[in-house]
Amino acid sequence: MEKLLSVGIDVGTSTTQVLFSELSVADTSGHFRVPEAKITDKRVLYRSPVYSTPLLDSSRIDADALRQIVAQEYAHAQIPIGGTDTGAVIITGESARKENAAAVLAGLSGFAGKFVVAAAGPDLESRIAGQGSGAQELSRVQKCAVVNLDIGGGTTNLAFFQSGDFVGCSCYDIGGRLLRFAADERLCAISAAAQITADYLGLRFAIGTIPDRAALEQLAAALAAELDTAAQGKSSALLEKLRTHGSKTFSAARGRDLAFAAANRTLQRGFGDALVSFSGGVADCVWDETLPPLAYGDFGVHLGRAIRGGVLFGRAVRAGETIRATVIGAGSHTTELSGSTVYYSSEELFPLQNIPVYAVPPEQEAELWRGECEGFAQDFADFLRQTDSPCAAAELSGKANPGYRELTLLARALARSLAGEPLIVLLHEDNAKVLGQLMSRVTSAQHLVVLDSIHAGANTYLDIGRPILGGVTLPVVVKTLILGV
Amino acid sequence: MNEHDMRRLADAICEAVMAEISGQHADVDGREIVVDVSSGSKIVTPPVSENAEILSMKKTTPARVAVGRAGARLRTETYLAFRADHAAARDAVLPDVAPDFSERLGLETVVTRCADKNEFLTRPDLGRVFPRESLEKIRALNPEPIDVLVYLADGLSSRAVEANGETILPILLEGLRAAGLRVGQPFFVQYGRVGTMEEIAQTTGAAVTCVLLGERPGLGSAQSMSAYFAYNARPGMPESERTVVSNIYSGGINAAEAGAYLTEALERAWREKKSGVA
Repeated sequence: MEKLLSVGIDVGTSTTQVLFSELSVADTSGHFRVPEAKITDKRVLYRSPVYSTPLLDSSRIDADALRQIVAQEYAHAQIPIGGTDTGAVIITGESARKENAAAVLAGLSGFAGKFVVAAAGPDLESRIAGQGSGAQELSRVQKCAVVNLDIGGGTTNLAFFQSGDFVGCSCYDIGGRLLRFAADERLCAISAAAQITADYLGLRFAIGTIPDRAALEQLAAALAAELDTAAQGKSSALLEKLRTHGSKTFSAARGRDLAFAAANRTLQRGFGDALVSFSGGVADCVWDETLPPLAYGDFGVHLGRAIRGGVLFGRAVRAGETIRATVIGAGSHTTELSGSTVYYSSEELFPLQNIPVYAVPPEQEAELWRGECEGFAQDFADFLRQTDSPCAAAELSGKANPGYRELTLLARALARSLAGEPLIVLLHEDNAKVLGQLMSRVTSAQHLVVLDSIHAGANTYLDIGRPILGGVTLPVVVKTLILGV
Repeated sequence: MNEHDMRRLADAICEAVMAEISGQHADVDGREIVVDVSSGSKIVTPPVSENAEILSMKKTTPARVAVGRAGARLRTETYLAFRADHAAARDAVLPDVAPDFSERLGLETVVTRCADKNEFLTRPDLGRVFPRESLEKIRALNPEPIDVLVYLADGLSSRAVEANGETILPILLEGLRAAGLRVGQPFFVQYGRVGTMEEIAQTTGAAVTCVLLGERPGLGSAQSMSAYFAYNARPGMPESERTVVSNIYSGGINAAEAGAYLTEALERAWREKKSGVA
């Protein structure tokens, strides 16, 4: 068994947290089979307090103050800077759009250790919040549909799970910080999303005045109703206006075809009767009835109460984590393992970071298996050129039980048509080692990496860590957006 | 229960069973075949697998769970499936490999001391040793010194060798040669057990000897193959010096990937001069 020390750093619109966890990796196959490495346990070692995200002004994060918070938490947890094996720094919610996000991540990268992902993107956040909250586990154990709503300061991230499978996500600019109040209850800030909603409802809120209580309640109730619509996997005219920049229309999850088919079936049926769990800061405002309206100087308590009074609450369950869901997701759920029979030409290649993924279309893959590569070669070369990256990964489905001849044809076709350094191939089925060996004998490229059991999909990036467990498997993080590191 | 009731019950059961055999039950989702006896109790219940969630759980195991029941017994369909799988398992043990199997793979066939299948199954000791002419044939195939020798044997499932041999063998041979090893000429052993590697290694002088053979079929699969290999195999060697990689078939690790894995494992055994739990 091997242990990986993982760090999660969540810089949200309103709060910042640090968390350390330990992932146990072991070979679960027994002695008489091919190895099968799995993450066998995830244990949280240390949780920081919930800090307010330090801001320079309304649009920029105070990178120095943030670095100090993180340094202090490493010291409290007694973990040397750079001593982690894996993990993720995630800038979530509206913050991800803030102009200095890239600089903030660069400032934190000194803490990173060997392999820490700096990532953001509404779809990724939705998934990891749903995992960190316990909603996915609840869905797996109960074999039911669960929708997790991670309601933070700036955004609500929805993640849909069916029997433990992540089947979709969406993200809207609905959160506790839509309105902010001074100590004397006067409105001091109104977000663009709040303004859109107010206009839509015909309500008026003026900065510097104390808003009418009925108007606030009407705004909160309207947003709660929109969240109910969103939680059913549906949309509305107002929701479309509130959709977070970069979030796709209800996006069914990438990944296994089976899960995908299940997702589509579920979506046709609708998530109307799914259980609903809440995480994020506003979740505490949903559950805690005793909070005074301006406990956090913002709109969060209003929104929480409106949700509690709305139809959505009728299906509510407590999945476990609330305000810490995202940081737990970042620390414990971002890292996955490749298959346990893989190919790489050298350990020195890793970590590989920010590898763009080219998802090979099925008809092109069929051609490759027949040894034809013209269409693929052209498209892959174009893709690589556009990404501005020295290498890219070609993602194939592979075959459950491939024959020798067709594998030889595939290996030759890929060796002829892939470009970049190193060459990287990703497969869903268990074909990586054999394809890697066959390719290594026919390619002129210096280095080659072939991994399987990884489902990435179009518009994703990969980080691949150093091989572990005696070299049989590699930690991999699939992410949807990179901010310059 | 009087005679009339008994007859009614027997007729009702026959009717339900016939309906099931003819596949009618499959047409209606979740339909229950209810036989009305005096108490009105259900005798034949459909498998609970109609439920999508239970179906997804069933997919995680080949075990025959959630199959429903007919009274206290298996449903006809379940029983027939069981009998069919059992027959397949027996069929995999009893017949020989297809006559053109060795030819298709370009392999010579050598036979152990077993005269026929029956002797092979009843005399495990004879399935490990060769008559002199077989050993001479093996030696003639491998006159030069070799580092690694890989060969096939029928073992307890001819079906397994037929299903996987064609894929795994070329991958292994090509991979081992590419690693710079001197690889022996493979062959097929009829009526062969794991222990054949002992005399074969002694005869050829191979440093690492690897046999690919059919596993004893279970009710789950008759196509599963195992690879056993040893460094310095010799008569009387302890079992602990053998390494085994099992479950090579479409439901375990596919033959191609297993071949790639074994290529590295054999190369390592040769380099480190050890195998098994040593």
